[in-house]
Amino acid sequence: MRNSPFFHFLTLEFFKERKKHMGVIAISLVILFLLSSVLFISSSIRYSLEQTLDQEPDFVVQRIQGGERVSVPTEWMDRLLEIHGISSVTARVYGRYFFKSKEKSFLIVGVDFMDEQSHKALRTIMDEVDLREFLKGDNMLVGGGVSHYLKSHFYPKGYTFLTPKGAFKKVHLFKVLPRESNLIANDMIIVPIELAQEIFGMNEEEVSDITFNVPNDDEWANVEDKISSFHYDLRVITKNDIKKAYENLYNYKGGIFLILFLITIVTFVLILYQRYSMVYSSERRHIGLLRALGWSINDVLKLKFFETMMVVIVAYILGVGLAYLYVFVLGAPLLREIFLGGANLHNVITLVPVLNFGILSSIFLIYAVPFVSAVLIPVWKIAVTDPKEAML
Amino acid sequence: MTENAIITIENLNKHFKSGDLLSKVLKDINLEIERGECIVLKGVSGSGKTTLLSIMGGLDRPSSGKVLVEGESISKLPDLHISHFRAQKIGMIFQHFNLFDHLTATENVMIPLIPARLSMDEVDQKVHSSLKLANISHKAESTAGRLSGGEKQRVAIARALVSDPAIILCDEPTANLDRDNSLKFIEILGQLHEMGKTIVVATHDPLFDTLSFANRVVPMEDGSLVGSISKGLQ
Repeated sequence: MRNSPFFHFLTLEFFKERKKHMGVIAISLVILFLLSSVLFISSSIRYSLEQTLDQEPDFVVQRIQGGERVSVPTEWMDRLLEIHGISSVTARVYGRYFFKSKEKSFLIVGVDFMDEQSHKALRTIMDEVDLREFLKGDNMLVGGGVSHYLKSHFYPKGYTFLTPKGAFKKVHLFKVLPRESNLIANDMIIVPIELAQEIFGMNEEEVSDITFNVPNDDEWANVEDKISSFHYDLRVITKNDIKKAYENLYNYKGGIFLILFLITIVTFVLILYQRYSMVYSSERRHIGLLRALGWSINDVLKLKFFETMMVVIVAYILGVGLAYLYVFVLGAPLLREIFLGGANLHNVITLVPVLNFGILSSIFLIYAVPFVSAVLIPVWKIAVTDPKEAML
Repeated sequence: MTENAIITIENLNKHFKSGDLLSKVLKDINLEIERGECIVLKGVSGSGKTTLLSIMGGLDRPSSGKVLVEGESISKLPDLHISHFRAQKIGMIFQHFNLFDHLTATENVMIPLIPARLSMDEVDQKVHSSLKLANISHKAESTAGRLSGGEKQRVAIARALVSDPAIILCDEPTANLDRDNSLKFIEILGQLHEMGKTIVVATHDPLFDTLSFANRVVPMEDGSLVGSISKGLQ
């Protein structure tokens, strides 16, 4: 390639006309940066959600009375176990604890740490917790948002909860959950199930809901039917329902991204139009002259294709590289707020780097195909006219 | 068609259509140019000499009639063949030089050789000897935009000669040159004629009236050839 006059001329043209290319690269870089950032953030959040939701139980059983959720008796757990195909039945206690003055709330989750299923669900966010030490006293594990909130309100070591019975319950802050779990656990407080029952004023025979797994996917519909007829005021939620709820939430937020995305695309189209017109007017004489000097239509198209591809590749590498740094190293300041801005507590999440061929090739195709076309179509139109006419 | 003819033009017509208006630029042209001949097409602006030159060089196509170069009709050749024809057989020198101002003289001269699939060494060699022939080697690395009119014209000559074409077509080559540079250009043209190149100059410059090495002066008027003044081979 080094000995090829064509590539020698191509690089000459590229570097000698760098001022012309720099402007195009700069504009393309901004577009690619925005496009890549949006796709990186959304795919990273989607990935994190999928990873977290995969740990969730297959079914959640709640009790509804008068349209309101009420406690579920623990005796139902044994009755559920009698249904064929059900395994890992677990009780959960959770609910929101409100700070009236600040209109903020925490999600308190009571967990039976002796239960294998509960432990599995929390394993990813409790990897470094010394359970034995944790269970010795009234301790809690808190999400990043809770920790930040408590510290800013001068409760750095723990918090005293007021129970419905009017008693105070002091709970020590044992550990802050890792940042990676903030997407799900930002406003979460994890405590032993008994402590959660005490905070919510529940007795030992009551829980918020019961969860279980059905390993055979084909049995899900049957089990759902059987459970629904089990008691008149039961509500059954499947893992798929939860996934859908999260997807709806993030699709809504993705809608805001879509607007941003559309603005980017409209800008891109305007730039393409400008590029098309510019090529048609400014490159006309240049192409006509090349043709007059013996270049065929294919030679001209080849030169302009490679020249454009050099611009595209430089802009792509810079745009995607900067977007990667912005999203996965700097944590996507500003753009991240679109996803997390409506959260109950201030949230700082770590976006897990998700890079796959699909995302990278989508970005490349969305950008490169229209861009190259916007150059090659006018070049072709000029190249097919007689050189004399093109040079006028 | 004589045996020694390199360019033969038969019943050539060229017209442009603008709305309902048909403008006839070339009317029934018949001309034969022999190998090694130097012909001066003389005429005022708008007489059709540039269009005739463009058709001879394959830059434009006739509306009717034929142009044969070395016995082969170029009027209806497909793109690849006509491009190859322009690259191999024609050296064009334009009125406005038509150089790429951002490139150096060397880079400008190499342009016609790029599609020829030569090695870089071969290209360098040809460019170097062509610049030498046009007496502009000393400005080889100067950017075209910074050269004087005369220097630009010599770079244009070097570019026209680089693929060693048999035919050199010059369109008003001295229109943008002062007298001294015009005379220098004519001197180079004389050398090319001595080398056996077929030269066709379209001009209205009186300097070419007394051109010692021109074989024929062919006057043009309103798109037609009006006779031919043969000066005999010098």
